[in-house]
Formats: sequence, C-alpha cells, structure tokens
Amino acid sequence: MSSWLDYTINGLIVGNVYALVAVGLALIFGVSRLINFAQGSIYLVGAYIGWVAVVQLHTPLPLTIIVVAATAAVVGLILERFGLRPLQNSVRIAPLLATIGISFVLDQLVMLTFSPNPRALPSQLPDIRFQLGGGTIGPLDLLIAGVGITSALLLFVFLRYSKLGWAVRAASQDRDAAMQMGVDVNRVNQAVFGIAAALGGVSGMLVGMYYNQIDTAMSLQATLKGVVAEVVGGAGNVPGAVIGSLLLGLVESYGVAVFGTSYRNLFAFLLLVVVLVLRPNGLFASARQAPPEPLTGTFIAPSRPVRIPRWALAVAAAAFAILPLFPVSFYVLQTLINAWLLGMLALSLTLVAGTIGQVSLGHAALLAIGAYTSALLSLALSVPVGLAVIGGGLMSAALGTLLISPSFRLRGHYVSIATLAIGEIVSLVILNWESVTRGPIGISGIPPLSLFGYDLISPTSIYWFSLVVMVALALLQGRLLTSHLGRSFRAIRDDDIAARAYGLSLNRYKSLAFIFGGFAAGVSGGIAAHLYSYINHETFNTQQSILALTVVILGGLGNVVGAIVGSVALVGLPEVFRIAAEYRILIYGVVLLLLVRFRPQGLLGTI
Amino acid sequence: MSNIDRRTLVRGSLAAMVAGAAFSRAALAQSSEPILLGVSGPLTGPNAQYGAQWKQGFDLALDEIHAAGGINGRKLAYQFEDSQSDPRQSVAIAQKFVSDPRIVLELGDFSSPASMAASPIYQRGGLVQFGFTNSHPDFTKGGDFMWSTSVSQADEQPLLASYAVRRLGLKKLAVLHLNTDWGRTSRDHFVKAAKDYGAEIAVTEGYIAEERDFRSTLVRVRDANPDGLILISYYSDGALIARQARQVGLKQTICAASSVYSPKFLELGGEAVEDVHLGTRYFPQDPRPEVKKFIAGFKAKYNGQEPDAFNAYSYDAMNMAASVVKIGGTDRRAIRDAFAKVKDVSSVIFGQATFDVESRRVKGAMNAELVVRKGQFALWDGKPT
Repeated sequence: MSSWLDYTINGLIVGNVYALVAVGLALIFGVSRLINFAQGSIYLVGAYIGWVAVVQLHTPLPLTIIVVAATAAVVGLILERFGLRPLQNSVRIAPLLATIGISFVLDQLVMLTFSPNPRALPSQLPDIRFQLGGGTIGPLDLLIAGVGITSALLLFVFLRYSKLGWAVRAASQDRDAAMQMGVDVNRVNQAVFGIAAALGGVSGMLVGMYYNQIDTAMSLQATLKGVVAEVVGGAGNVPGAVIGSLLLGLVESYGVAVFGTSYRNLFAFLLLVVVLVLRPNGLFASARQAPPEPLTGTFIAPSRPVRIPRWALAVAAAAFAILPLFPVSFYVLQTLINAWLLGMLALSLTLVAGTIGQVSLGHAALLAIGAYTSALLSLALSVPVGLAVIGGGLMSAALGTLLISPSFRLRGHYVSIATLAIGEIVSLVILNWESVTRGPIGISGIPPLSLFGYDLISPTSIYWFSLVVMVALALLQGRLLTSHLGRSFRAIRDDDIAARAYGLSLNRYKSLAFIFGGFAAGVSGGIAAHLYSYINHETFNTQQSILALTVVILGGLGNVVGAIVGSVALVGLPEVFRIAAEYRILIYGVVLLLLVRFRPQGLLGTI
Repeated sequence: MSNIDRRTLVRGSLAAMVAGAAFSRAALAQSSEPILLGVSGPLTGPNAQYGAQWKQGFDLALDEIHAAGGINGRKLAYQFEDSQSDPRQSVAIAQKFVSDPRIVLELGDFSSPASMAASPIYQRGGLVQFGFTNSHPDFTKGGDFMWSTSVSQADEQPLLASYAVRRLGLKKLAVLHLNTDWGRTSRDHFVKAAKDYGAEIAVTEGYIAEERDFRSTLVRVRDANPDGLILISYYSDGALIARQARQVGLKQTICAASSVYSPKFLELGGEAVEDVHLGTRYFPQDPRPEVKKFIAGFKAKYNGQEPDAFNAYSYDAMNMAASVVKIGGTDRRAIRDAFAKVKDVSSVIFGQATFDVESRRVKGAMNAELVVRKGQFALWDGKPT
C-alpha cells in the first residue's frame, strides 16, 4: 500500500512542524507550570522579522536565523520581565491570563505594523526535491526536522547535565526550596523564556518559509496545535513534545486518509482527550513521577472578596432595570444585552472554574449546544421559543456534563486543556453532522424570542428579558454558594483529598456543578440563537471561551457579582475603544494586562 | 481610519453646534455635511485582511465620485466600524447605525454569521443592509432591506464548470472546497453543473479555513485518480494547495474559482501556480472602460499595487451605493425603494448592474477565462497546458 507510506510520511512532515512550537511550550511549562498562550505570538513575531530580514535586508539564511532568534529572545525576555515576573507571587492563574493579554498585544502590534494581508516568505534554501514514496520532500523539511530534534536533544542535555539546567529543574520542582538553596530563580526563568522565545521565533520563520506564507492569523492555530502536541507528549517533557507532535501529525494524516479532510482536527483533539484520560501525565511520564500540579489548591488562591452590601446590589439592579425608560440609544441597550448574555456564560464558568476549581477553556461549546438545541426545537418541532430556550439549557446541562465527565479525574491546567479539546470537538461535530446541524451552511430563519405568544423584538423587551433571566440565574447561584452544597464545592476546590476524606463524592459534586453551569450557558446560547436568527459552527468559537474565562478571572473566581461586572467591562471596553478603530484591540489587551498586574485576584476577589 | 477622520467629524459637529445659534442645524447639514454610510466589517481579528481591502476599494470609488461632483453636490463618506466578523459586535454596530440618523445605508458585514445575525435589526430598523460579499443563499431572504451584489454561486459555478469540462476537456474531477457556507454552496452548484456537462466527480474534500497542510488530502485526491483539480478556495489557501499538490507529485490541470484572483495568489503560490486556470469577472487587459478606469485608478492611488477581487467588490459596492443615494436621497425607505429603481450601474464585476427585484441580487456577472502564464494572469489562448 504505497498510499499508507505517503500518509505516514505526510503525517511525520506536519508533525515536524508542530514539534517546533511544542518544544518551546514544553520548556516553559516544565519550569513555570504555565501554558504560555503567547508562544504563538512570538512565533508570529519571528515569522515577520524573518520576512524583514529576507525580503528587505536580503540576509543569508544563517544570519537570518541568528537575527530572528536574537530578536525573538529579546521579546521573550521583555515578556518575562514585565509581563510575568511581577505576577510570580500572585494567584497561579494570573500569569495564564497575562499570556493571553500579551498575545493580544503582540498579534495586534504585528498586524498594525505589517497590515493583515498575507505575505510570501521565500525559502532561502536551494529548491531541490527528493523523491520519497509517491511525493517529494525538500531541504526545508530536513532543516525543520533538524532544528526540532536538535533543539530537543540540546535542551534535554542542558537540563540534565548543566548547572543552570539543574537550577531550572530544581526551580520547577519547588521554587521556594530552590531559592533557599541559592538558585537565582529569576535568572532561571529569564534563561528559559529567552531560549523558548528564540526557538519560537525561528520556528515561525521556518514554518513561514515552508508554506511560503505568513499572516497574522497563524498565531492562535500554532498555539492550539502546539499545546495538544505538548500535552500528548507529557507537559514539560521536551523530548516527549517532539514525539507527541509526530504522533499528532500521524493521527491527523491517518484520520484524513480514513474519514476525509473535514474530520482532520477532530482526531487531533480526540487523541488529546484519550491521552489525558488514560495517561494524564502524557505518554512518556514514568509511573513514579510526582503529579505535576500541587496537591492542594494553590492554583486558585483564596483572597478577601470585596463585600458589596445587598442594598447597593438592589439599587444597581433597579437602575439597570429602569434604564430603558430613559432616552438611551438602542446601541447602548444592545451592548448591554450582549453583556447580560455573556454574564450568563460567565456565571456558568465562574461556578465551574471558580467555585469547584475546574478551569474550563471550552465553555463556548455549551453555548453552541444550547443554541443549536433551541434553534432546532423551535424550527423543526415548532416548540414555542420560551420552552425551546429552556430545552437548550437542559440539553447543554445534560450533554455538557456527559462530555466533560472523562476529565473529572484531572487537575489544574489539565482540566483546561481537556475542556479546550472538548470544545473544539463539539464545534467540529457541529460542522460535520450535516443531517442535524446543516453543517457549514448553518441554521437560518430562527424565529425571534417570544414569551406566551408575544414576540420580543424591540431591543427594550430583549433587554429586559435577558436582564431578568440573568438576575434570576445570579440569585439562584448566590443562594447556592451560601448553602451546604456551595461549601462542599469550595472544599473540593481548596483540597480535594481532604474533601474526599470527609466523605464528599468528587465526581457527583463536579457533575452537579456542570449541570447547573451547563444550564445557564445553554440558556445564554439559546437566547443568542433567537436574537441572531442565524447561527453556524463559527458563531460560538474558541475566542468566546477565552473571553468567558477572562471575564471570570477579571471579576474574581467564583464571584457571582464579579462575573457580571466583568462581563459589562469586557463587552463595554472594546465598544468604548471604538473611537480608536484598528488600535482598539491593542488598547484592550494593554488594559487587560494592567488589570491582571494590579488586581490579579480579580476586581471583586475570589469567593 | 474611516474616510472622514473622526476628529474632523467631531470638530465639524462642534462647529455645527456653535453655528446652530445662527442657522438651523438641518439646513447646515444639507449644504456641507457629507452623506454618511455605515460600514460593518473586520478591521482586526482573523479576517482583518478583507476589511483592509474593502477600504482600498471604497476610497478609490469615493475619490472618483467626488471628482465627478459628489451626490448632487454633497460629499459621500463612510464610517467603518470594526466587527471582527463577530456576530456579537455586528449586532451592536447594527443598533448603533440604526439609531444614528446620519447613516442612510449600511454596507457589510463580511462573514455570514456576523451579517445575518445583524439582519433582523436592520430589517426592523428600516435601514438597508447592503451585503456585497454575502453569498449565503439565505442572506437576502432576511427581509426587503437586505440587498446584495455578491455574485450568486448559482451563476458563477456553472461558468467555472463549463471552463473546466467543456473548454479544458476535463472528464474526472476532484473538488477541494473551503468548508464554509460559501464553499459548500459553491461546491454543490459546481458539482451539479459539471455532471450536467458530462464530467464525473471523483472526490470532494472540504477543509477548514485555518488549514495549512493539505498533503494528506492530496494523497486522497491522487488515489481517486482525477484528471483535473478544482479549487473552491480563497487566494491564500488556493496557493497553499497548488504548492503542495506539486510537492506530492500531482501534475493534473488545476482550475480555480474566481476568488483566487489576486496578485497575492501569484506571490504566495510562486512557480506552483503556473498554468493554473481560473474564471474571473474581469482581467487586466479587459477592454471594458469601467475595468480600465478601475485598474488604472487603483494602481495610481496605491503605488502600482494590482487590485484583486475583494478590491473590485468594494469599489463596485461604493459606486452602487452612490447611484442608489442619488436616486433615493437621504431617506432610508426611499433608499430601499431606490435599489429596485437603479438601472445599469457601471460595474467592474457585472459590466452593467441592475437588481433583480425578486431576489434582491444582481445577475449576469461577467466572465473571463484566465490562466497563469510566466507568473502573470493572462487570457487563456485555448492551448492545452
């Protein structure tokens, strides 16, 4: 079967490309236990610096590589010094958010400097093709493989045999102990970020040359695939990241071979979930290896929440309730409707991520399930819209909990990565399950919101409706948090072993949290579907999940009022910055970074 | 920035307020303020490149409109709001435009989810949503305020099928398409037309927009043993597929949809796109005067840069908007009615554009059969490649 040989070769070739990003991610995770969402942005920066060097300055390839590596390393050092080091003593989740903010800022800077049009990045290697199987490979394939494998080996040797390498490993095992033994942890972190960034920059350039194409959208995709590969290989394990990448490439290639192109990413993310469930430390972790996350809940540190008196909340709710009676523009109302809808999603996520400690990065999937259920119920079965929205909530609760249940045994970052994958899987199933979801064509002509036979069409009525639903869900959740159940949730978050010792069934409580959270998110998605009248698989995407998590962290994990305040802020800010046109997302990123820097426990603090 | 600088706008309105003591504001607006169009489209986010191309086309069209005396003596301007092609933001922008009495007409958005989510608001608010890249078959079904000059795929794909099957003599086809609403609709129209012309469809493969690696897909294509590859792609993914097809050893004729027509396709594809066939709506040596004017004007304004399909769409859209506003004035409802009245507007894509009142779309896009020769788009000379 010569085709299988070709699929294998192609899988290895693309795995090769993923490995470059995965190695950098693994290095950073190994030391600082941080998924660096900015790694894709450094990759992007490297690609564009490579473009300047090759196309404008006509540097020869070795010099190009040095220039790109050096510049990217400087970017990495700046990022570490000003973006992450100030956060090292704060909540462990703050640096994660900081890397997201940094990636916004870097991507926007590149876009503003170079325009969003894709550019050609010509390869500087001779165009010789070697016959391999039915296809050919070129010198760039070999160079990429060489860089990937050599850097993984060098890093492995460096970590194992050099003094700084020992320091790096000591710092990754126990920062405080390493510091007491005289390890300069800051220098270690600097070294790691410098190396990882240099590698990220060079890989962006090489991949750009490989495809003869660079554009500003390549950053998020690189991060996603890199994270998958890294975790499959074992987070923090550098040689494992290379093997994980090759495996990912192979699985994708065979997936295409058997089922067709549109199923490609489905297999990538299924592989991830399977590996996480069966071998949470990655394929190459030794059995004796200590769990990579701390046993008790330092992932989400407790803080003193801001107490807002009840009367103040009541006044605020009343003020928002009577707002449409004043002459405010529909634009303001629509923006607030978006905030209330995001608020429902944030309530769901703040319960799941904040109260019980399962930080989900795939929450948009719950919106999508709710939206599709509600849309299809009202269109295909003519269920009244009000009931269909509730149906969407119930379906989201049931299906969401079922899908997420395999990841209940995971902790910390691994939950985030598993949920990220589950979110992508849901979106790809929607794309491919055409008989039900109508695939890429999407669902159009969804009837508008209506209640007891009255259509809610005017922005004012939709505003009131979504505000009432959100406040009701918030009150319910507030009541929940002060109950016995809420205390059990927090006990599981803070120390799951102690909680289990007290007889709490972890899986049952996690399921309960996801059922309640899934309902709120599903209702939000259902309302959105009837508001937009058209949805497809792209309406609820990964960016929505990241936005929801940002809202929750910004508002304060587990904090109900914080989730709502965060939603209003993060829907409102980009609208306020409209005056800045192309610069608005840049400003938004900077504001986000400043908030994380000065209020890492969130605006209103963790409850 | 939008065509009228915001500061100018603010200053202008401040001046108007001051002057308001002497004149009525409306009277002043009649004489000096530009007629304002709203544009909802991506300036940041994954589709930002298309928003940037829109602006180039809009600005060129406005220069020409103003040189010709504007709209009955008044200037035309647009306010570009960045939606990131995100439905959440496009609905807020829709409310913003609907409640801003200065906006007489809206253009955009880019993607179907963003555009069609905003449609109910424009329809209820009585503001025309003029979607000039909205090929989704249901877009204009959103209501009588939805109009589109996007080339209908029911029109375009049979032309491409005719080029591939009848003119190039391909009999067994592999179709690679973007797995979006556009790519999917196009594929269905193409497959139907190609079968009607007697060709066999060996395999169809849909890929997602972010995909960059097509080698395994192309092995599938190779195993289906077609004699031609059809790309229903945009220029960036089209170039990637063409390059990788040559790398995995596929030497078949490649025939692509008009959306790859861009100088970027040549730049990104390099030698691999040599001999690629494509149908387009216009081409550089086109003798039609509107095309010559467009290409010459574009090169003069943007340092010799060649325009592409999206530049042409937005250029045409702004000219169409100007023609409509000339008839309909500044009343939103009258503008809606003007879309049905406007006739034979000079257009790069359609030659003469007139709306079909029933479907609220324009039929009869121009067609040219091109091939890439020596790194340039050239009219196909009928010789096999």
